[in-house]
Amino acid sequence: MTRGDFLGFGVLGAIFGAIVTIPPVAFVLSPVIKTDALGQSDVPDDWFEVGPISEIPEGEPKNFVVEFPVNQIYSEEEIINNPEAVKTEGEVIPNAVWVSWKTEILEGGKLGKTQRPAFVGEGGSLSQEQIQEVTASLNVMSSSCAHLGCPVRWLVREGEGLFLCPCHGGLYGINGEYQGGPPPRGLYNYTFEVRENGMIYVKHEFDIEPGLNKQQPYVV
Amino acid sequence: MGMIGRVRSQAVDASKLVTDWMEHRTGIVTMMEHFLFEPVPKRGAWIYTLGSLTLGLISLQFLTGILLLFYYVPTTDHAWNSIYYIMNEAYFGTLIRGIHYWSANFLLAAIGLHMAQVFFSGGYKAPRELNWVVGVILLLLVVVIAFTGYALRWDQDGFWATVVGMKIGSYSPFVGGQTIRFLMGGDTIGPATLSRFFAIHVWLLPAALAPFIGIHLYLLRRHGVFGSEFEYTERLAKLHERQRLERFERYEEEDGEPNTGRRDRADRDGSE
Repeated sequence: MTRGDFLGFGVLGAIFGAIVTIPPVAFVLSPVIKTDALGQSDVPDDWFEVGPISEIPEGEPKNFVVEFPVNQIYSEEEIINNPEAVKTEGEVIPNAVWVSWKTEILEGGKLGKTQRPAFVGEGGSLSQEQIQEVTASLNVMSSSCAHLGCPVRWLVREGEGLFLCPCHGGLYGINGEYQGGPPPRGLYNYTFEVRENGMIYVKHEFDIEPGLNKQQPYVV
Repeated sequence: MGMIGRVRSQAVDASKLVTDWMEHRTGIVTMMEHFLFEPVPKRGAWIYTLGSLTLGLISLQFLTGILLLFYYVPTTDHAWNSIYYIMNEAYFGTLIRGIHYWSANFLLAAIGLHMAQVFFSGGYKAPRELNWVVGVILLLLVVVIAFTGYALRWDQDGFWATVVGMKIGSYSPFVGGQTIRFLMGGDTIGPATLSRFFAIHVWLLPAALAPFIGIHLYLLRRHGVFGSEFEYTERLAKLHERQRLERFERYEEEDGEPNTGRRDRADRDGSE
């Protein structure tokens, strides 16, 4: 084999190898490419309604369910809205959202003062200052345990409440802070905003606490 | 000779003709002999059936899995309903799915026992190391098939077990995020997740499993099961030598018709 033959085989091999491997690999990995490389999401970058702040009690979290639409395969927005396609219901991924007022934790784990503004529940639309105050006093948390993603529930025992994960016993306080068990951090918080009508809205986005664990809440 | 006797001898002749014909063209009879006739020590003979048990359970998985595909629908809105149909409407649906479910459970137990037997009898030692390696690949494939099958039920049990399993994968260094987004088919669990788990459970991994089972069996037959205690090739060589001598003797006795092809035990004993 001459040097020219060798190079020729190498070039041809690379070209045909690429022709044979790239399409199937890109085909199977297209969701990974779209989310990782292109930064797309299967959930639209919109605000979704959670519920009214007036329903959130003191010293106890309140659970709302938000149904996020999922753009995957037959549930893609384009397909659902296409008048030529057979009418399909879009799939939703229900998220249980825990909302609580930021609460002081006293010595021994007892709950202290709650930051619930006095004007909440009076009715009428909120001013910009009031919205800022409410936003600063709310925890809007994902129910997905920071350990392995099971949904946490609020458990009250002898007057003291904690979030408990049913799978491996992760424990969190009312502000979502880590209390015990295997989770590496506290509960994830949604990106949220409060509007004049006294409702909370969330995006399908979560905080990543710097220095603790860079883990994304991959499954929610 | 009565009529029954005549019919019987005709049938024996016909079957001999067929087996000889097949042997001549495909060598299948020698192959079957090689695969099925294994000299086994009397002591603890049952313990050597654990590999066959594993293979039997995997075959059951393939057969019942193919049957379940006649009704199962891999979409998020219909998966649960289709399993409900299998369990309540289709004839023997409970039986077929029950066999798929329980033999999957027993399969993992059988693999554990099989591995323990090989480990404690030193069956992984030279020259059988590669068969242990192939066996571990088979174990991993079966575990991932079991994991992906759990999700297909799309009930609370299967869903949350899948979430937990994927999140365990997400803690892998460097590729955790990509792995989980590959499995979910995006950045959230949804229709793509179920489709992917279906493809992996039903096609990708079973198709990968089959050739490794073939390699496992080939290596098994190449080295035999019993090691120095009971050397298979040596034993088989002695057996073949004895058969050759017996044939030769009878050829001399019968004095004529050349003695070719396979002869069954009745021939050898001369009790025709």
